[in-house]
Amino acid sequence: MSLEGFEVAVVGAGPAGSAAALTLAKEGVQVLLVERGTFPGAKNVFGGRIYSYPLKNLLGESWREAPIERFVRKEGITFMTDDSAFSIEYESRDPEGSFTAKRAKFDKWLAEKAEKAGASLITESRVDDLIIDGNRVKGIVAGQDKIPTNAVIACDGATTGLARKAGLVGMLEPYQISMGTKDVIELPSEVIEDRLGLDPEQGAAHVFVGSCSGGLRGGGFLYTNKDSIALGMVVGGEDASSNQTQASSFIDRLRKHPKIKRLIKGGRTVEYDAHMIPEAGPKMLTRPYTSGMIVAGDAAGHLLNNGYTFRGVDIAIQSGIAAAQTVLDARKRQDYSENTLRGFQTRLRTDPALKDMYTFNRVPAYLRKSRLYSIYPELVCAAAEAIYRVDGTGKRKIFKELRAQAKGRVSIFSLVRDMIGGARTF
Amino acid sequence: MSTEENVTLDKRLMLINFAKDPEPFIVVDTDKCNSCKMKPCLYICPAEVYSWQEKLNYNTEGCMETGACLVVCHKLGAAAITWKYPSGGKGVAFKSG
Repeated sequence: MSLEGFEVAVVGAGPAGSAAALTLAKEGVQVLLVERGTFPGAKNVFGGRIYSYPLKNLLGESWREAPIERFVRKEGITFMTDDSAFSIEYESRDPEGSFTAKRAKFDKWLAEKAEKAGASLITESRVDDLIIDGNRVKGIVAGQDKIPTNAVIACDGATTGLARKAGLVGMLEPYQISMGTKDVIELPSEVIEDRLGLDPEQGAAHVFVGSCSGGLRGGGFLYTNKDSIALGMVVGGEDASSNQTQASSFIDRLRKHPKIKRLIKGGRTVEYDAHMIPEAGPKMLTRPYTSGMIVAGDAAGHLLNNGYTFRGVDIAIQSGIAAAQTVLDARKRQDYSENTLRGFQTRLRTDPALKDMYTFNRVPAYLRKSRLYSIYPELVCAAAEAIYRVDGTGKRKIFKELRAQAKGRVSIFSLVRDMIGGARTF
Repeated sequence: MSTEENVTLDKRLMLINFAKDPEPFIVVDTDKCNSCKMKPCLYICPAEVYSWQEKLNYNTEGCMETGACLVVCHKLGAAAITWKYPSGGKGVAFKSG
């Protein structure tokens, strides 16, 4: 393939990159999509769920052709100690709002959609550098090839390689990252449905807070695929480093919990995955654009963990679409300078999906409170134990029991402050 | 199918495909590590690429390419790691992800 004559280079064929390439190609832009893996998705890891809405924006009704594992019907959270668990579960009326998937299939499918729209995909190609002339990005360098373009859209993931080369970000801080690890555990689909109480083709998403992270910032997750359970842990970068605990050990701790043991019993572990999650939000970069370049997806911190929903792929797709639309504006004006590309910032703040990132911008700081991972899960479980246990020794009313359980664990002042803080943050 | 699985990290890493890159993509200035107090790379890496036997040892063949070692080494450690992705088509490949 000749690498001449491309107007835009998109680096990384993940959800952000493929969405950007697809949006541009649909408008007739000559776009090159560059992927370092042997196929799009080969390198990409996530927890397990994709919210559907951005695919409808991108593809209309053909979003249903996506390689969907199960639509998520059940949402749940469990607070746990080593030997107890307090769970809350919700059954959604509209399970089509999100689905579980495997990235090796999903990312490949989305990149094929971009190719069908006219984007040129090259795989097994690592982008090493940018062509920079003065303070303007003028293309990419991949191995021996220098590829000049009008604009570059960097969707090269959490390690932010190209954004760093363009001077838009320094090294992240350890508290701005988390380490996610995951086992994929094969089980017959009927067993999954029986154990989780699901109808065929419908799935569950569940998060776990408490003893599984050993009091460190983080928690566990479970998503049901067709014939497997994706079970994993996420632990804060600063905590995992300073507590001298192997990042890979947390998932074993989760698997040992009686509730989890029962769910995965007899299953066969068929894959182990890991991914670094940037947790700083969009302020991770000084700005997500410079002359001739836009940064989108994980590379720009465009993802959202607000404590109860974990959104990577949907935000990445919307961010990729917004980046492409900004480039389309620039193309119309034949001006790819910083001044025009600044429009990306406006799109991020006004897009109804992307503005969620700013609505919940105080969440990361709140989630660094260590009480959330140790004292509160213990308190919830101890209170439930006291409320449900009848042993003839006399019962207290619920409110009195809660106060008694809190005593010695957390001051009422801290508890009230965390509750008010939580109400303002979430 | 066994009912009680004993899944160790070694067994987990056997489940993933790695295409060896003849060019080194992680280089560690291991002299610097001798004075590193925290040694955060030993803990953050989900594949335990880094180990300590009198000095820092590393084996990039099991690298899952998260990039977290670079962050913690430069911010909490001795800034000894130079890291880039493996060459195109090399390194880790996931079947599920």
